[in-house]
Amino acid sequence: MIEVDDLHKSFKAFKALDGVSFSARDGEVTGLIGPNGAGKTTTLRILYTVLRADRGRARIDGFDCLTERRQVQQRIGVLPDNRGLYPRLTAREHVRYYGRLHGLGGRELEARIETLFDRLGMAEIADRRAKGFSKGQTLKVALARALIHEPHNVMLDEPTNGLDIASSRAVRALIQEMRAAGRCVVFSSHIMQEVEALCDRIVVISHGRVVADGTPEELRRQTGQRDLEEVFLNAVEGHRNAADPARPEAAA
Amino acid sequence: MSGLRGIWFVCLKESMDNLRDRRSLFLALVYPVLGALLLGLLVSFVGGMFRGQDVGRLHLPVLNAHLAPELVGYLGDNEVEVVPAPADPRRAVRRGRADAVLVVPPSYREDLAAQRTARLDVVVNATRLSTVITVARVVELLRAYDRQVADARLRDYGVPEQAAAPFKIQSVNVGRSRNLAGFFLNMLPPFIIFTIFVGGVYMAIDTTSGERERGSLEPLLTNPIGRWQLMLGKAMATMLFTMAAVLVQLLAFKLMFELVSSRETGLQINPDWQAFLAVFALCLPLMAFAVALQVIVATVSRSTKETQTYLGLLPLIPSLPGMILVFVPLQAKLWMLSVPTFGQILLIGQLMRQEPVALSQVAVSAGATGLAAAALLYVAARLYERDQLLFGG
Repeated sequence: MIEVDDLHKSFKAFKALDGVSFSARDGEVTGLIGPNGAGKTTTLRILYTVLRADRGRARIDGFDCLTERRQVQQRIGVLPDNRGLYPRLTAREHVRYYGRLHGLGGRELEARIETLFDRLGMAEIADRRAKGFSKGQTLKVALARALIHEPHNVMLDEPTNGLDIASSRAVRALIQEMRAAGRCVVFSSHIMQEVEALCDRIVVISHGRVVADGTPEELRRQTGQRDLEEVFLNAVEGHRNAADPARPEAAA
Repeated sequence: MSGLRGIWFVCLKESMDNLRDRRSLFLALVYPVLGALLLGLLVSFVGGMFRGQDVGRLHLPVLNAHLAPELVGYLGDNEVEVVPAPADPRRAVRRGRADAVLVVPPSYREDLAAQRTARLDVVVNATRLSTVITVARVVELLRAYDRQVADARLRDYGVPEQAAAPFKIQSVNVGRSRNLAGFFLNMLPPFIIFTIFVGGVYMAIDTTSGERERGSLEPLLTNPIGRWQLMLGKAMATMLFTMAAVLVQLLAFKLMFELVSSRETGLQINPDWQAFLAVFALCLPLMAFAVALQVIVATVSRSTKETQTYLGLLPLIPSLPGMILVFVPLQAKLWMLSVPTFGQILLIGQLMRQEPVALSQVAVSAGATGLAAAALLYVAARLYERDQLLFGG
């Protein structure tokens, strides 16, 4: 369960988040969508504890992302936009490292790695060093190390970005599987078909604010559009038109 | 996860990761050996100069030797073989074709016969260090000859020899080790300090700026481990690599001294193993100090390149006092020992010259540097807590 309440965050003069609120429930997939620079990644970064909000609260399973960082970190699995690997470590060593940092070890850890590698089809690269891994292979390693401790809340920042069709499909299957297991999944994406196929709820972010929030059905009804892409553009544009004259602080 | 276990896992991962970086590892260990090699060559070269001229005959070109047969005979009795001089002695010496040339002026016989002061020119080139010994020996022989002739004249007049020699001046050397050996031993501290500040640099860069640039820092920060623990784990791994580099260098120095002193050169320098061990122990707090400084620089710089530039300059600053001390050895005062780097340079010098080192001196140096290192590590931990850790700057 993820609860976000009135998050504000500025980088010097740039206002990245201007009061973002939404919640993501267990057993559901919540999609964060919005134009580039809208604040999706910043929101996720505050949620997965690498950035501090200037104002507002973010909670995961009731734990505060700022003051109870450790408890939050134990409950989240993260695939950030930056998903770099260590070129000189093998896939297995990557996952083992993260497993150990989560307090796992011994046979249990090795067995979990085996299961995860089976599930993600990583047998071939398990003991190869990461240098020269393809995007798909890199993603699999990054996913495996994010999920080794079987986190209840999973956050994925543009998980299928740059992947081929087969890999994208594998990721989608994994997301559906996690939802079926009752986990709370949040992911951000640009791809409308993906959002439509996976999401139980959609949160549209634009200019650091939530401009639409609901099930795909609700959003269609609100905007009167059939096509989700139109729904999205409508929400973003409508917000921009409504917001610009009403934002004197932006001009100041 | 308990604090220590987390730090240990990070340290283990970084160590294993960087042990696999064969090229960086090789380079990191080549430098320390290179220093010892250079010093070894220098010592055996200078030592060879002593040996080559102490024993065996010296060949001295003398211009107009036929005018001074007694002098030639005297030189011959003192193991100096007179050889024909080049046509232009000044040119020959300046060009290095001869170490020194003795010039007997055409008026020599006349002056001598008339009991006037006869000139004898020794043409030397003071800019060529390797000729110092030859020149000194020639000049000393000529002075002795001068004395001998003067004494003979005084005897002829019936004057006691001592009357014309009111003073006998002798310098008494009380240095514990030979002066020249001390000079070489003073060159050790700058080498060691440099290694301390350079030994782990690539590791500090790879584990902080490198981690950020690879994009592996962000996911790492989502793990349930404090940022200060991540920092400490990385600093510990960097410390281990620094220790390895310093150990390799000390070993190389010791082997070099063993080799040089076994070859019967004129120099006797060979500090014992205990002295080297003591140097290593003494330098541990300074290594922590250097590592903390490296982590800080790597954390606040924006890119790996920037970090490299800064950290490339870093070792020069602490090495400077050591370079100066090579030429102007200072007596260690207690307050000086509390200055990180400076204190170590003084104490390494004392240990290597096998002079006694008081426990209080070590305590002041280790304590002050240790405290400074702890303060820097605290700063590094604070820097790790900032949002900017993710972006650099």
